[in-house]
Amino acid sequence: MSIKLSSSVPTDREVVLGILNNSEEALNKLYVAYFPMVLQFILNNNGDDDDAKDVYQEAIIVLYNKIKSGSFELNSKLKTYIYAVSRRIWLKKLTQHSKKTNNITDFEDVLVVDDDVEQHEQKDMQFDKMKVALEGLGEPCKTIIEDFYIHSLSMQDICEKFGYTNTDNAKTQKYKCLQRLKKIFFQS
Amino acid sequence: MRNEIELEAIIEDYLKGKLTADEQQAFERLRANDPIVDHRVVAHKVFLESMQQYADILLLKEQMDAVHKTIDVDSLSDDLKPHPSKIVRMWRNNKSAIAVAASFLVLAMVMLYSIQSQTKKDGSFEALSREVNKISRSQNDLIRNIKSNNTPKSSATPAKFGGSGFAISSNGYILTNYHVIKGADSLYVQNNKGASFKVKAAYTDPVNDIAVLKISDLSFENLGSLPYSIKMTTAGIGEAVYTLGYPKDDVVLGDGYVSSKTGINGDTLAYQVAIPVNPGNSGGPLIDNNGNIVGVINGKQDKVDGAAFAVKSKYIMEALNAIPQDSLNRRVAFGKKSSLKGLKRDKQVAKIQDYVFMIKVYN
Repeated sequence: MSIKLSSSVPTDREVVLGILNNSEEALNKLYVAYFPMVLQFILNNNGDDDDAKDVYQEAIIVLYNKIKSGSFELNSKLKTYIYAVSRRIWLKKLTQHSKKTNNITDFEDVLVVDDDVEQHEQKDMQFDKMKVALEGLGEPCKTIIEDFYIHSLSMQDICEKFGYTNTDNAKTQKYKCLQRLKKIFFQS
Repeated sequence: MRNEIELEAIIEDYLKGKLTADEQQAFERLRANDPIVDHRVVAHKVFLESMQQYADILLLKEQMDAVHKTIDVDSLSDDLKPHPSKIVRMWRNNKSAIAVAASFLVLAMVMLYSIQSQTKKDGSFEALSREVNKISRSQNDLIRNIKSNNTPKSSATPAKFGGSGFAISSNGYILTNYHVIKGADSLYVQNNKGASFKVKAAYTDPVNDIAVLKISDLSFENLGSLPYSIKMTTAGIGEAVYTLGYPKDDVVLGDGYVSSKTGINGDTLAYQVAIPVNPGNSGGPLIDNNGNIVGVINGKQDKVDGAAFAVKSKYIMEALNAIPQDSLNRRVAFGKKSSLKGLKRDKQVAKIQDYVFMIKVYN
């Protein structure tokens, strides 16, 4: 009953605990609850709904990482935090595209979250680096690596999925792919 | 080649903590002895961490994309995009600012109001103390301004001010407050049956706020012996007292108790009594339950509930002693047992009310 009652906007505590416990439901609720706020901000400041989606998802990732790292303290509302991060990210994007950023229309109080956003940018760079490295691998290496490291398939599963005659061959192939990936990743 | 693959597998298992204790020890020895292996472990660790982060964020994005599809973005966009109307846009954009401004306005008004009432209070206290300086004790004098059109029989014009008074002798000496009769052209007293008599001031004592009037009217008949006496000792705090007076055209009883042995600002000439009194009660007798007069009501304090003041009875005695004794016929007794003692309140009032008068002042 109490869970149903709080189904629309989750409490901040609910979200933090949910994310720490890897609860998908908590994240989904959080996502649905505050997307309109960010959408409104972006739409009123020279953006469209795709921009809103990108910015909002980045902000959620910032929040997610912060909660996961254990350095998140509830001294402001999550709503305010998400708004501030989204705002900061969107302002950076606007300056990158050399659009005007003086006349920003605000809808919420603005927190100072520069540090968090900067940290996120570094992580984002790492993410892009890995993405580029994986793209550069080509098939079937990319899928083998992704299946093993991201989707946590066993070598047995990968062997069957790709039709290798035995797991040793699959392991050798994975080893070669991994060496190439590491080379690209560490060199770039 | 095969060795390389096995080494890589061992490094991975080592980093993921999948080795047994023995294997782990053996591998750590290898690591310590072989810098190349050691470097490969470190490099692989960095790589695995990056991969883990990548995986986390990728999964997170996949999840968010799935949720995003459930949101009706188009209709939300329609609702939230900049409104063509400037006023609506301004309201939406500055909702919080407007709210802050509105609450500030309310706060300012509340503060202004409270400051105003505060200064009002200060002002009244000042006025009160000025009054106290001027006539020593009688603050917020309880003189009644008679606005009724009841014209007394013996007078063509209605009385301007009114107070109360009580007989101190059977031949028509009436005691009241000095402030009641101050500045009067002519004075009348009226008994509870409505009969008016002309009086003259026989004695005034502005310091103690006491005045004695003498009925000079020929139609006045002797009052007979007075039922009450005057208390010689001071009344104690908590002693039940009552007063009779004329805040309106009929005699009114006020009931209460002595709440302090001093009057306003520690004035030792007066008692503070908790009795509801109104303009017109000035000069009324303050009587205890045994029918002894303990004081004369003379004022009350502004803005303080239930704080009325009465001149102590010993100053009544001083006033009486100042009047030529042979002119007082069957005067009020001092310190004697009053004939009212032991009677119930209603019987006492029935007897006393014939001796309490309304003072009418014309000027």
